[in-house]
Amino acid sequence: MTLSPRFSLTVGLLATACLAAIIHILVVLSIPRNVQHSAFDNVAAYGPDRRFNLLPDVRPGEEALPDLDPAMKHSTCRFQLADGPVLFDASIPVPFWSIGLFNSAGEAVYSLNNRTAGAERLSMLVLTTRQLAILRENPPENLENLIVIETENPMSGFALLRAYVPHPSKADAIDRALKAASCTGI
Amino acid sequence: MSDASLRPVHGEADWYDDRLPRVLRSYRSNPLRTLAAVTLVVVLAALIGISSAYLIIEREQPLDAVTIGPWHAYPKAGTAEADPYSVAIYTRGAVIPLASGEGLALVAREDSAGHKLDPTCIYRIAGQTPSARLWTLTAVDGRGHLTRTLPGRVNLASNTLLRRADGTFEITAARQPHSGNWLPLAADAKAGDGLRFVLRLYDAPVTTGAALGGVSMPIIDRQGCP
Repeated sequence: MTLSPRFSLTVGLLATACLAAIIHILVVLSIPRNVQHSAFDNVAAYGPDRRFNLLPDVRPGEEALPDLDPAMKHSTCRFQLADGPVLFDASIPVPFWSIGLFNSAGEAVYSLNNRTAGAERLSMLVLTTRQLAILRENPPENLENLIVIETENPMSGFALLRAYVPHPSKADAIDRALKAASCTGI
Repeated sequence: MSDASLRPVHGEADWYDDRLPRVLRSYRSNPLRTLAAVTLVVVLAALIGISSAYLIIEREQPLDAVTIGPWHAYPKAGTAEADPYSVAIYTRGAVIPLASGEGLALVAREDSAGHKLDPTCIYRIAGQTPSARLWTLTAVDGRGHLTRTLPGRVNLASNTLLRRADGTFEITAARQPHSGNWLPLAADAKAGDGLRFVLRLYDAPVTTGAALGGVSMPIIDRQGCP
């Protein structure tokens, strides 16, 4: 059986298109696994895990992490739930602050701001279902007042705390509040 | 004596004859040609596949955008429900997204007339934003980096803005100082550096994509270019 040149060409083009589509999909899906610096890695450069590390102010040419708002001050804390539950505690005297929890892939897991937190003080406990079950047997006094976030698996991730600077004169007070913020075990 | 008279008379003698339709002719293998064709297909497919993936990722525009005038928002990017393209874009840039409980970021790469934003031009950003407790407007270059400006600041915040009696506002984005609300643009930018406006709405009810349908966003008008 011999194919006509036109038919061969059509088959060739179809094969090219299908193969190109497969390669395109493979390339796009493989990028997340092959990046050299994920956000989770970048955050580690600013200090040890399990404590809030104040990021330098967002200025032209010296952005600590990409895509941050220059009107805000930021503080991050990296944690591994396998090492135990993490308690976030902060009191920041600004009209707006927010905190986002991200997993090691950089996906937002949970987030809240000072209005949805329901109190001026941030006190949030992140732990796995098993750790919560253990904690319930001998609960600390303030467990009722904490925002408790339960995850299925012992995730690794980081928290990013953003605090709005309404005026440069408040910058020092906000720095102090962000440095005093804690991200420790119970 | 004609050619036809030399042919044998039985029915299958003209098996290799050219008068047969092509599909009935026997296949004469040509390994070199086949190998060349397969190689060409594979190389071409790899080129098209990789370059198309690169172009889409390099554009840094996730696909499932919510568009309001010149503004684009990507509420699902950076969450577990994100599409593979925005996952690739966000992880490649190591971008920490604004989570839904914090706020929503809207990006403009073009003005309201559809022209690409140019840091050497003067723009008027006017109208109103969806309700939010706080919003900031930042000018960045085409790759999302902050740029040096004359006064040093690169953004405007809603709480220091001059507004009209009806709550609308008017912002002039330019390199040189302007009266009223002035958003400084890069002092030493060339037209090719690109420009994006990023409007971040904090604690806004519209952080989910569905609620973004009927809201009004400021328009971006090009006033003039050098």
